[in-house]
Amino acid sequence: MSDIRLEGVSKRYGPVAAADDVDLAVAQGEFVTILGPSGSGKTTLLSLIAGLNRPTAGRIFIGGRDVTDAPAQERNIGLVFQSYALFPHMTVLENVLFPLGVRKIGGAVARSQALDALKLVRLEGLEDRRPSQLSGGQQQRVALARAIVFKPDILLLDEPLGALDRKLREELQVELKQLQRTLGVTTILVTHDQEEALSLSDRIMVLDKGRTQQVAAPAEAYLKPANRFVAEFLGIANFVGLEDGRTGLVRPERVRIGAIGTAAKTARVVEAIYLGQMVRYHLALENGAAGAPMVAAVPFVGRAFATGERVAVSWEAADIWPV
Amino acid sequence: MTGGSPWSRRALAAVGVFGLVFLTVPLLIVVPMSFSSARALTFPPPGFSLRWYAAFFGDPRWMDAMWTSAALASLSSIAALVLGSLAAYGLRRGSFAGRDWAEGNFMAPLIVPTIIAAIALYLGLAKVGLLGSFIGLVVAHTVLNVPLVMMVMGVAIREFDLRIEQVAWSLGASWSYTVAKVVLPNLAPSVFAAWIFAFIGSFDEVIVTSFIAGRYETVPKRMFNELVLEVNPTITAVATLLIGLTVLALAAVTVILGRAGKLRPTLA
Ligand SMILES: Nc1ncnc2c1ncn2[C@@H]1O[C@H](COP(=O)(O)OP(=O)(O)OP(=O)(O)O)[C@@H](O)[C@H]1O
Ligand SMILES: [Mg+2]
Repeated sequence: MSDIRLEGVSKRYGPVAAADDVDLAVAQGEFVTILGPSGSGKTTLLSLIAGLNRPTAGRIFIGGRDVTDAPAQERNIGLVFQSYALFPHMTVLENVLFPLGVRKIGGAVARSQALDALKLVRLEGLEDRRPSQLSGGQQQRVALARAIVFKPDILLLDEPLGALDRKLREELQVELKQLQRTLGVTTILVTHDQEEALSLSDRIMVLDKGRTQQVAAPAEAYLKPANRFVAEFLGIANFVGLEDGRTGLVRPERVRIGAIGTAAKTARVVEAIYLGQMVRYHLALENGAAGAPMVAAVPFVGRAFATGERVAVSWEAADIWPV
Repeated sequence: MTGGSPWSRRALAAVGVFGLVFLTVPLLIVVPMSFSSARALTFPPPGFSLRWYAAFFGDPRWMDAMWTSAALASLSSIAALVLGSLAAYGLRRGSFAGRDWAEGNFMAPLIVPTIIAAIALYLGLAKVGLLGSFIGLVVAHTVLNVPLVMMVMGVAIREFDLRIEQVAWSLGASWSYTVAKVVLPNLAPSVFAAWIFAFIGSFDEVIVTSFIAGRYETVPKRMFNELVLEVNPTITAVATLLIGLTVLALAAVTVILGRAGKLRPTLA
């Protein structure tokens, strides 16, 4: 168990800065998600921490030790990729035994440790299968077991659930979170799925073009984004003009709609999308910023407004966040 | 074979079939002739006998050449396998200045005309005093076969997911441990194929060998010399054995790569 600290870390590929002066401190046992669009430098940052790559500038500390120039072998990190990267010629058990073998742990001790790890990821009875004989979800569990069996100081996960279908992904998200809490291992997860980031992590780091945009707890990043990029990347953003000339953010759940006459502002329903518990309305405002789009998400109770209908729209001043 | 008019497709097929016939007819003539009972090279053979095989196996000079070829092919193919695989790994996985230049240098023996490679090796080996020595032959054949190994192994290494190696490193495995326990077991079919190609490449080589072998005789060199001196049907028996060896080896490669599902990328 260790904390992680990045100080002014940069990685340049010619003119491209894949990581640009990044600072980050992850506390021991914390779960931090790095979130950003494709090409924003998430994998680069992870591979720098893992020691698969050397930064062009800056220092990296793990457990207080400067590991900037230490090879991957000496960092005691559990690594999981989206592509699983299991050893194809080994069985499930042999895959999980691999890091123990490297550490000269063998025999019954290693075996029971490996079986424990497989039990933690709820994968029992498949020890003798080859990776090619497993489903995607099972392969990812093996990769996870292999990454935790040697009690790493840090767990690094690069879009570990990206290749799985939605239902399985949600299931594994819950398991991953529980596993991380059980082990108390410092974890950094990379994803471009904002829901995954919001639901799993203690804190989120939003990245764009190699630069940190914000590091904050999920609710704070969602409701109080540091800038427009973060606002738009974390879910749907409504921007409204403020009296002082600035722009304010209102999230769809904070927009209230009702029958005409219940509020001063009015809008026309462009589209009503039924989402189960919620209905999402795409609106066109009528007064003030005429025609400006707005999205409202309201609980579905009884009747929904229909496309083309006119509605009254309102929001609380307290729900506006200037960006 | 998408697109193209029916005409051009037919023309292509005709050229293909002609090429195949052109290449295989000599083989189909040599094989029956090696079992001929006639004293001279005549086709079709008047009767069946194994006398030319007996002549081959009974001739100590042929047997000498055979052992020289076998030893040479064994040593040079192993050397080429080790060096070519390491070069392919470094070129595929590394990123360093002069990478393309280094690759071009290793591949050169495959690209420059053999006669030029022969002259270069002649001069080079003469300079270091290895001309006409067995070690010189091994060195020359190794140089010639490295590109074959690099081609086969280069494709195999490129196809092998780098992340699997990276995970192994992160799990604490050293580079050499990773290569031995993770990379090689997965590339075994390609390693075998590369070794076969290098072995056959050496066993069949005649031009460079003729330049630098001195008093050493390999099977192809002796065949060549025999043909120049006199037309002796023993050569058809030797040729048939060489064809058999090559076909068997290539069949083994096909089976092993086919089973590993590697055939397409390797031959592509
Ligand atoms: N080896 C490399 N050589 C050159 N440029 C690279 C290299 N690796 C990454 N880059 C560049 O660095 C930037 C960040 O890449 P990175 O893979 O870290 O993005 P990412 O956030 O992980 O994207 P994705 O979500 O698609 O995986 C990209 O512009 C990419 O093209
Ligand atoms: Mg990535």
